[in-house]
Amino acid sequence: MKVEKVEIDPISRIIGHINAISVGVKQAIKPERITVEYPRERRKLPDNFRGLILFEKDRCISCFRCAFICPANAIQMELYDNYYPSIDYSKCILCHFCVDSCPTTALKQTKIHDVAFRDLDEMVVHTDEMINPPKLVREDKITVEYKIDRELILERRKEVENLIVDVEPVERIGYHSACVNPQNCIGCALCARVCPANAISVKTEDEKRVLSIDVDKCTGCGLCVRECPTKTLSLVEVV
Amino acid sequence: MEAIYKWSVELPKRIHKAKYFGNLEAEVIDKGLCSHCGTCAAICPVDGIIVEDKPIEFPNWKRDCVNCGACVRVCPRWDYKPLNGIGEYIEVLSAKSKRFKGQDGAMVTEIMASALEMGVIDRAVFVGRDENWKPVTAIVKDVEQLLEETIRGTKYSFADVMPRIKELIKDYKVGVVGTPCMMSGVRRLQKESEIFENIKLAIGLFCTENFYHWQLHEFLLKEKNVDMKDAVKTDIKKGKFIVKLRDGSKVSFPVKEFDPIIPSGCEVCQDFSAVESDVSVGSVGSKGGYSSLIVRQENAKEILDYIFEKGYAERGDMSIDAVQKLCDFKIKIHPYPPKH
Amino acid sequence: MEMLEVLVEMFEMFKSNMVNIPLIQPVIDALMNIPIVNYIVALVLWKPFFAIAILPGLGGIMIVLLLMVYWERKLTARIQWRVGPLEVFRPLRGLIQPLADGFRYFFQEVIVHVDSHRPYFVQLPILTFIPVLLPILFIPAGEIVAIRSSYAIQIIVALIALIPITIIAIGWASNSRFAYIGSVREAMMYFAYEVPFVIAVLAMILMYGSGDPYVIVEKQSVPGVIMNPIAFLVFFIATLMATSRLPFEIPEADQEIAFGPFVEYSGILFGIVMTLAYEKLYIMCLLMSILFFGGWNGISIPLLGDLSPAIWLFVKAVVVMLIVALARSIYPRFRLDQALKLGWTSMLLISLVSLALAIVIRLSGWLG
Repeated sequence: MKVEKVEIDPISRIIGHINAISVGVKQAIKPERITVEYPRERRKLPDNFRGLILFEKDRCISCFRCAFICPANAIQMELYDNYYPSIDYSKCILCHFCVDSCPTTALKQTKIHDVAFRDLDEMVVHTDEMINPPKLVREDKITVEYKIDRELILERRKEVENLIVDVEPVERIGYHSACVNPQNCIGCALCARVCPANAISVKTEDEKRVLSIDVDKCTGCGLCVRECPTKTLSLVEVV
Repeated sequence: MEAIYKWSVELPKRIHKAKYFGNLEAEVIDKGLCSHCGTCAAICPVDGIIVEDKPIEFPNWKRDCVNCGACVRVCPRWDYKPLNGIGEYIEVLSAKSKRFKGQDGAMVTEIMASALEMGVIDRAVFVGRDENWKPVTAIVKDVEQLLEETIRGTKYSFADVMPRIKELIKDYKVGVVGTPCMMSGVRRLQKESEIFENIKLAIGLFCTENFYHWQLHEFLLKEKNVDMKDAVKTDIKKGKFIVKLRDGSKVSFPVKEFDPIIPSGCEVCQDFSAVESDVSVGSVGSKGGYSSLIVRQENAKEILDYIFEKGYAERGDMSIDAVQKLCDFKIKIHPYPPKH
Repeated sequence: MEMLEVLVEMFEMFKSNMVNIPLIQPVIDALMNIPIVNYIVALVLWKPFFAIAILPGLGGIMIVLLLMVYWERKLTARIQWRVGPLEVFRPLRGLIQPLADGFRYFFQEVIVHVDSHRPYFVQLPILTFIPVLLPILFIPAGEIVAIRSSYAIQIIVALIALIPITIIAIGWASNSRFAYIGSVREAMMYFAYEVPFVIAVLAMILMYGSGDPYVIVEKQSVPGVIMNPIAFLVFFIATLMATSRLPFEIPEADQEIAFGPFVEYSGILFGIVMTLAYEKLYIMCLLMSILFFGGWNGISIPLLGDLSPAIWLFVKAVVVMLIVALARSIYPRFRLDQALKLGWTSMLLISLVSLALAIVIRLSGWLG
């Protein structure tokens, strides 16, 4: 196979040169660059950005769903007056499965993502440290947003973005636990042991073990349903 | 389904002032009645009861037992009334599997394989073995697993089949194969909690007695100079225990010589033909290479119809009198209450 | 006694040939009255000294160096949609980056590796300063000049032709593969651009009729670039080739031979080497402004007196340098054989055409 030399006639060469120089000069005068000069400028993040996770203690019902669903095993439940989650950020992959699975939006997302921990011990964030947002040193004065119209434009605004998002508590369907298969029950009372709200009580009345669920106390966390070895309990909707 | 917020469970009679496992220990295990079936371990909600090659125990039961009484309610030897005889049945027959090679006609394997195929069960609990012939339970998902050699065939030692049911029972339909005491345990489990209705197939084996593996191994090594590593098949035929070795030779001796190592729980058992199973399988009553079957329940009948329809097995002649003779023999040698 | 006489004589020589700057004249007058300071002031303002040390000499070089490094990086970054150096002095957006670089060179360790020829390795960069700095003696800026000669342009061209020899020697002294390849490439490039370059300069000299910068500048009522644009093109491309600027950055290709002849230098020697490249560019741009852009012609600012032509020349040279930085960001690099081919076919041809054009213009008598 013979490779032929490409011949370009001089006129197109000169036009090519002029083209190149004009592009260079045009870009030198008004560049179309879209560089974000981080950290003095910061890109605007969407509200559901997956950053650090904050915790609202009053909303938590200790259902353990966050700890069960975490794919990286980063959440450990710590005992205060009840069990509350703590996150180990050396394992956490910020997937926010825990935030999604929390039935009461006690865990909520923030836009804080560029954090630095000084040592590995600091990376285990306990529950009391998760309630208030961490101390931030903000160097940015300008927020940058990319707008795509026909071409990519960078819009700079002189504002400082709030990194904490307000999350409204979700409208929850009320559930509580109920015994739907009494013929399965073997009377082990593990449900009463594990209930974080102490809603299930066990009594012995004339040769029988009597278990009862206090519907007002039950938060519908589902821990008793998980723990029952014989599928006696189930969550039913509040009527 | 209507939800109820208050329900109750009958508590069994507490004979001693201890927690319920303490009662079980005192009344069944320490009295030598325990058949090592493992039914108590199948229902214990805290997984505390251990079924291994030694008497059943619950270490730290004084601290960890939650006193539910379930183990007492399901134990076949609590308030023991021995079952015996041939029991009720729909049909008796003899068959030999065309697909598998097993102890005799490999019908246990065939029935489980067909049940898996039909979808009657999702999982089956089988007993395999290691190179020392120590039983190792295996959970079988599909028919291909049953082609493995060590899963088929009789192992004359205790195996922890019942605790393995526990991890399957909430999600799958389970098939179980076991000795007559295990079959009684299965029926009691099903009466106690309806979750155990998920056991859709219970195959019983003809059984005179079972052994602790370490005792069997030691006996064969010391008294008969047989290392179980070299064995390829063990069998009990016509009152003789026969071991076929790898080099082709056979060692055989009367079963009576095992008397010193028979566990005390087996010495009070009178159930030879597994009267509480769905189908009982054994070698007695059929010629060599064929298994005897006593079909007791409808679910087992449907599976056998399927087997013969598909041509997976061929029929043979079965003599029910031989079985009856052995049932009577077992009642004779294992009186309850025991004589000594 | 004799020393004092000599000093007094020198003082008189200085005073007779001082640069005249009306703006600071009152200060000078005041300072001249103070006994020892007046010597120093007379020395500083003596025209040759002023030309060498301040403008267009070392002072000019300093400013150009600082400016050029920053401008080149920033301009290239801007065209490439980047930002360039930013963080060194935040309020000024990185303006003192070159200063920081130079500061760093002072403190970096100078590693003279074992394989190199140690005396040459250390001394050659300093020796290279000779042909690079000598032309400053001959380049006039208005009235400010060190040596007035009617053969100044020819001398400058001859001195410029000496520089690549020292660069080749630097690469040889490093005794390293990349340096060797870089030296060879430098030799090839030298070969490529020298002839068209000399012919173009010759054409301009022919056109003006003399090699004296004063005559040349006087004759440029119309700038030389308009009279003979072809020679300007050749001169421009030859400048790019001579100073290893893209698209002809062949001896010092960063991505190909890891900076060529200068690969083993570090610390202050590296700083010197970097300075050399920019100084050579400065000299050639000065030459270019004298030949083509009217030298120090321009609106004279009466307040600055003698300084105003100097500043005009300086500004023109700096503007040319800034435009050379533009070429860096637009063009990719030529291959060595392509550059050689360019030098010996197209450029030679064009330079001969410019020579013919110059002869025609001269013969037409337009420039008188």
